[in-house]
Amino acid sequence: MNELERKAAGPHYVLRWLPHDGGVSQDAYLSLAAAFAGIMQHEEACRQDGQAQPLPPWDITLQSPGCDAPNARPRYVYHVNARAAGGGGEGTEESPWWGLVTAVEQLTRLDRVGQIKLRAGQTVRLAHHEVFTTTSNERWKRVKENLARLVFLGTALALIVPMAAILIYLLVQAWPVLSFSFLVQNPRDYMTAGGVWAPLVGTFWLVWLSLLIAAPVGVLAGVYLNEYARNNWFTRIINLAVVNLAGVPSIVHALFGVGAFVMFAGMGRSLLAASCTLAVMTLPVIVTSTREALAAVPIAFREACWNLGASRWQTIRTIVLPNSISGILTGVILQVSRAAGETAPILFTGAVFFSTLPEHGVQAFFPYGLGDRCMALSMHLFTLSTQVRGATPGLQYGTAVVLIGLVLAVNSLSIGLRVYLRSRKKW
Amino acid sequence: MSDQTTTTGRAVRRGSGRVYAALQVVLDRTEPAVEWLIRLCGWSAILFVFGIFFFVFREALPMLSGKLNLTEFFTSDQWRPTAEPQPHYGILVQLLGTLAVTGLSMLIAVPLGLGAAVYISEFSGGRVRETLKILIELLAAIPSVVWGFIGYMVLGPIIIRCTGAPVGVNLLNGSIILALMSVPIIVSVGEDALKAVPDSFREAALSLGASRWEIVYRVLFPAAKNGLLAAVLLGVGRAIGETMAVLMATGHSLKMPHSLLDPIRTLTATIAAELGEAVQGEAHYRVLFVIGLVLFVVTFIVNLTADLVVKGIRNERA
Repeated sequence: MNELERKAAGPHYVLRWLPHDGGVSQDAYLSLAAAFAGIMQHEEACRQDGQAQPLPPWDITLQSPGCDAPNARPRYVYHVNARAAGGGGEGTEESPWWGLVTAVEQLTRLDRVGQIKLRAGQTVRLAHHEVFTTTSNERWKRVKENLARLVFLGTALALIVPMAAILIYLLVQAWPVLSFSFLVQNPRDYMTAGGVWAPLVGTFWLVWLSLLIAAPVGVLAGVYLNEYARNNWFTRIINLAVVNLAGVPSIVHALFGVGAFVMFAGMGRSLLAASCTLAVMTLPVIVTSTREALAAVPIAFREACWNLGASRWQTIRTIVLPNSISGILTGVILQVSRAAGETAPILFTGAVFFSTLPEHGVQAFFPYGLGDRCMALSMHLFTLSTQVRGATPGLQYGTAVVLIGLVLAVNSLSIGLRVYLRSRKKW
Repeated sequence: MSDQTTTTGRAVRRGSGRVYAALQVVLDRTEPAVEWLIRLCGWSAILFVFGIFFFVFREALPMLSGKLNLTEFFTSDQWRPTAEPQPHYGILVQLLGTLAVTGLSMLIAVPLGLGAAVYISEFSGGRVRETLKILIELLAAIPSVVWGFIGYMVLGPIIIRCTGAPVGVNLLNGSIILALMSVPIIVSVGEDALKAVPDSFREAALSLGASRWEIVYRVLFPAAKNGLLAAVLLGVGRAIGETMAVLMATGHSLKMPHSLLDPIRTLTATIAAELGEAVQGEAHYRVLFVIGLVLFVVTFIVNLTADLVVKGIRNERA
């Protein structure tokens, strides 16, 4: 064929594609339309030889004698799904043409109306595109989604990893002093040595007393809110009060305790006043969890009971409470953990910087009367770290670890209970 | 489920026959009394909130009725409660300290908290979600005095080493500690808000070909914005009211703060540090109650707003 030689004299179009057996095939044409038609000819030829049809990409580059190398990026890119049948599509990545016939028809049309104009070295590419392959739009979407997932995971980890690191650090620092005798010894030598027995017992009694006060009131309040209260403005106000009670700063609770229990009720600074303050402060925890636990009991249980002629109180007593006792317990345990950790409310209502307790015998466990002041673990930690000079650092870390361990153990108990009961739940 | 209850009921009845029956009779007879008790307990929350206001107000009243110049109280930076002969009660420094530490801690806590809420609610599932929720819950359980201790003993030295600040307990330290403390509440309330968006919203977005990020950004954020706002507000409330942690981690200095590394003093810490020394019934003591009243009112408003915002969406949905 001498055509190529003839074309070497002037500008011509080169059609390149990758046949199935590898390598690059190319052919030359004088006009763009002829090059497009060439695509169909190759298709036809392949079909008649019984070979696999060559799928795009097909590149058509305008070459002039002086300039042989095509530009790296094609000037026009159209997409086709060569396997699809019928006509349709727009030639874009999102909506490729269906079938090579459509593609060639549309390319010729575009060429005729002058939408494809090539200069030397520029290329038109017809890219193959399966219907269900991702478009660049979707690829970008997936990148963004993965990025978002990573960022959100990062924020979640940013909370947990430093916390774990700090807890481990505290544990390592406290390790030398942690022992059983640390737990059962009183603080000695102006609190620069010894253990945490007196604060531990103090915290224990504070928590028990506050629990004794808060649990009945809180559970009954939860029962009222879920079983008795109607859906009206008064109930809304009660709910608002519960939310606010939980939101009042602990130091304001302390002021309330001083004003109401220590002075007005005449309790003085005592175990009882501190427990009452703690009870008021932790009441919302019990109310909220009780209400949630009761709300989880299906209404059908109550209706069945009412249908048997039971009164409201009988229903609550025999059906609702037994079925929600686990949830209520969870709330009560949470109250314990909360009360054990609070410092501000007991600071001025009953906690004392230092007191010694008997370490042995019955007296070691029942050291306080209701009117006595007591030490507390949380306050002891505060005192040790800010007020006491010359305490061994291990002592402070040890106290902190005992307090954290206590609170986290109680909390884990509550969580474990919840998980166990949820797995046993039958409705 | 009901059969479980009847079996337990029967077992008890067989076991202790007459006593149980008598107890039931007594419990049934006392129903009116019990119902009143339940009502009373239900109303107790209101009683306590009013009680708090009343008793704090009662102690603060003698100062409020004329003795205290309220303009000076809020605008003066002179806090010299024990000065003779003329004590000064100006809480501007503490007010700014509270604002600064709250604002800065929210700058840290809100992105972290909402991000973690989105991750837990939308990007994780099954065991990962449960584990994360439990860990966040444990984070919330750590007592404030322990946070203060961490700020004082652990974070302080780290800040000194990294920034060369003269003291480690300062605004930055307090903000980081407060942020970590208020994050759990933001996460849990924010996650609830996201969970409250009906699944049909997500399904509709999915069927339009939205990716998960697009669902979060274009569908869930607008739909749950009130709940997320409430989460942030509750976080703010928690940060304003926090006492022991800021007392230990912010340095408790009465100077006007100028930079991130200056020690500051907050309203809550002032009460906690000075109530023990103030003589009962004297002006200093009562001024501390006035500060308590201010704190009560501020947190009340914040919580009320959060509640109204949440109620707002509920009514819209219904």
